[in-house]
Amino acid sequence: MIPITHFLAVSACIFCIGLYAVISKRNAIMILVGIELMINAAILNLVAFGRYDKADYGGQVFALFAIVLAAAAVAVGLSIILMTYRKYKTINPDQITDLRD
Amino acid sequence: MMNLLHISPIHASLAVLLFPLAAFLYQALRGKQDQSGIVGLLGILLSTAASAFFVFFPIWQQTPVEATASWFTVGKHTFSAGILLNNLTVLMQLLVCIIALPVHIYSRVYMKGDPGIHRYWMYLSLFCFAMLALCVANNLLLMYVFWELVGFASYLLIGFWFTKDAAVQANKKAFIVNRIGDIGFLIGIALVYAHMGTLNLSELFGKQSPLFEQIPLWHTERWMTYAGLAFFVGAMAKSAQFPFHVWLPDAMEGPTSVSSLIHAATMVAAGVFLLATVFPLFNESILLVIAIIGTITALTASYFALAQQDIKKVLAFSTISQLGFMVVAVGIGAWNAAIFHLVTHAFFKCLLFLCAGAIIHEMAHAIPAAAKVDPQDMRNMGGLRRFMPYTFILMVIASLALAGFPLTSGFLSKDSIVIAAFEWAVERGGTYLIIPIVLVLVSFLTAFYIGRMIFKVFFGKPKLWSDEKVTVFHEAPKGMWIPMAFLGLCSLFFVFSFNPISHQNAALMQGLTLLTGFQPIDSLHMFIPIVLITGSAIGWWLGYRWYVQGKYPFQENNAWVQHAQKQAYINEFYQFIIVRSTLYLSRGLYWFDHYIVDGLTNGAASVTRAVGRVSAWVDRNLVDGLVNLVAQTSYYAGHLLRWVQNGRLQNYMGFAFTMVLFGILYLVLR
Amino acid sequence: MDLFLFYTFAFLAITSALLVVSLKNTARALFLFFIVLFAMAGLYLFALADFVAITQVLVYVGGVLILMIFAFMLSNKELLSDLQDLSGSFIQLPNWQSLALSLGFLGLMGYGIWQWDQAYSPSWMEQNIRTGQIILSRDNNINQLGMLFMSRYILPFEIISIFLMMTLIGAAHIARKGDEA
Repeated sequence: MIPITHFLAVSACIFCIGLYAVISKRNAIMILVGIELMINAAILNLVAFGRYDKADYGGQVFALFAIVLAAAAVAVGLSIILMTYRKYKTINPDQITDLRD
Repeated sequence: MMNLLHISPIHASLAVLLFPLAAFLYQALRGKQDQSGIVGLLGILLSTAASAFFVFFPIWQQTPVEATASWFTVGKHTFSAGILLNNLTVLMQLLVCIIALPVHIYSRVYMKGDPGIHRYWMYLSLFCFAMLALCVANNLLLMYVFWELVGFASYLLIGFWFTKDAAVQANKKAFIVNRIGDIGFLIGIALVYAHMGTLNLSELFGKQSPLFEQIPLWHTERWMTYAGLAFFVGAMAKSAQFPFHVWLPDAMEGPTSVSSLIHAATMVAAGVFLLATVFPLFNESILLVIAIIGTITALTASYFALAQQDIKKVLAFSTISQLGFMVVAVGIGAWNAAIFHLVTHAFFKCLLFLCAGAIIHEMAHAIPAAAKVDPQDMRNMGGLRRFMPYTFILMVIASLALAGFPLTSGFLSKDSIVIAAFEWAVERGGTYLIIPIVLVLVSFLTAFYIGRMIFKVFFGKPKLWSDEKVTVFHEAPKGMWIPMAFLGLCSLFFVFSFNPISHQNAALMQGLTLLTGFQPIDSLHMFIPIVLITGSAIGWWLGYRWYVQGKYPFQENNAWVQHAQKQAYINEFYQFIIVRSTLYLSRGLYWFDHYIVDGLTNGAASVTRAVGRVSAWVDRNLVDGLVNLVAQTSYYAGHLLRWVQNGRLQNYMGFAFTMVLFGILYLVLR
Repeated sequence: MDLFLFYTFAFLAITSALLVVSLKNTARALFLFFIVLFAMAGLYLFALADFVAITQVLVYVGGVLILMIFAFMLSNKELLSDLQDLSGSFIQLPNWQSLALSLGFLGLMGYGIWQWDQAYSPSWMEQNIRTGQIILSRDNNINQLGMLFMSRYILPFEIISIFLMMTLIGAAHIARKGDEA
């Protein structure tokens, strides 16, 4: 019986790595990877807490929902990346600065 | 007839002015389409008729008439304009008309075919209008306006052939010299107005006016002298008195008909007319100055006339000399004699010019265009009396009148002046006698030079062509010699007096009575004419001997002849002294302006610029520095914040997470 | 033994994740991401969520990752060259702002976990532990989940199904080549 604190620590590590990837990567696909890492960290937290809820299985159910949503997000994200590449001929977000003032 | 056409003399006089003005306007509007000049001729014809029948006869020896209308108001002073008709003004107006009429008729032939003839008629009508108005103006200011206008018309006509450089130079010269006189006239007007408060002639000099009584009392006052001098300067320039005579010989560049009308008969006499008009203003010293100037003019001009080769130049100097006679007459107080001589001179001098014009006309036609011969040069003429008998006779009449032979009008008027001068000099005695003696001498000279002209032109043999080719030369056309004949008639004695010997019976002298301050000396009335006639006869005989019989006593390059021909180098003197010194003065002023004035200005500018630079530095570095500091600070702050807005999604997210981190930290550490 | 395996998986997941974000080569990173997902699935097993672990493997490894590699591989040459920047070092140097932010979060969460572990535990967890309402390793999780999906969570289940369908259609539409795209 592994203590919940350990799960949380691992989850925090993975989340921070994902966060780092999202902020620093110069490649849209790797940003997507970073997002997936963060979602996985969240799912890990969900299942870790879900162990203490046998009546509703809330943790595991929402972990499953999260996985589905993440898959959908990846599908949409990839298609957006393709479109972005078609328009800007790059997928480096640093070079796409249409939001600039 | 007179009752039927009862027109007031004032209206008639106005009409006399308006006919030439209407003709001028009509011709100005028609422009080149009006070549004939019939309108101008018609205008002057109507003017002459009106002037003679409705102005001269009702006014002459009758009560003077005046009409005035208010002209303009400056402050409280109202200036009036009007017409004054008395013996003097109606005489002048009639004279101008009578002289202008033959000149107009003559011009129709003389100027025929000239490319600028429409301008000629226009200018001539303008001149007639201005001259007629000048005669009857009742106000010195109005007179000044027309005085300028006749000067302007004269300027236009002298420069009529403006493609000739000499004509352009001549009209410039005339204009500039006349400016000097006009300034004198203007100063005189200003002085009179300042002290008298009016410019109206009848108020100033009229017999009913109290001012007239006071004027002699003011003769001792200094301004009176200045005013008299100023008016005399005006008259000097207009009447070509020494030393302002230089413009008149050059003015012969204009058409000969113009010379006869403007520069012999009418306009140049306007100066004498002005002197006669403002005569009461002159005190003793001014009158003496006038007499001296007139004498010098008469002498020098007749001297210059002796050696001139250009026929028109001879006549021009003769005009100047005769004007000198008139001025002397004014100076000795006998302005009635001056006016008398003015009238007679107008006729015979006009005739002389018209004859000269006829000769020049025929010469110009006879000389082939290729031969570069001056048609006005007397050395090229000679023997013309066989070809131009009418012209010859008329010119001899006019010359005899000029020389003062009996039975001519010139005899009467000239004798009246010389006799008056003797009477005046005898009254004063001593050195004053120089003036009448000089006048007698001038009479001799006059007789000689006019005889010289007649002999050189009409006697001897033709110089330019042999006798076989005489068919090219013939009498002047009818349109020219008929007006000349009319003037020749007017140069004879009976027009003015039925007694061919005594000028005192002349109608004109009776109309212009005045009280001279000196006693008439009866013996002179016998003695002077005899002297004059004898002298003139000797002059003519000398001329005949020298020029017809070929016993010319002088060398070709005789110094005196050269001196006289070059007009005593007065033009060169003016060129040298006045023009050159004006140039030097201008150059000096330019230097002063360039280096001193501009230097000061530039120095001030430099100082100002330095101050400006300092203040600019202060402004830029201190004042602007503060402002810029604020601006730069906000700019950098803005730039710093702007950097956040760089459009990079990851940066946005990074900031968002940073804020979340700080928020949680805050919550944790609270 | 449990603890050892857990830490093995945890170490595997964290190391692989660090390598994923550090590598320059996108293709290698994606394959390393494969390992991360497997390791995560292993960690789910230690939380007694066997069905979630299976789903993770099926959906992520079999779906998402294949999609990514597909997108990567099927992209045109310029995209590949753009992504595969092989020049320079093998491992990309981290930029310091992102690193500082990530470490900050890590520290904050670590602190939170440590605090929580020391003093606090939710009441519902205490209560469930006391009443024995916790999932045990012998429980049939799949059966229980199937019952709950069809009863208690029927509405979110249906919504998520429709949502998934919409997403896939939408993604296909967006990615479609065409003028109107």
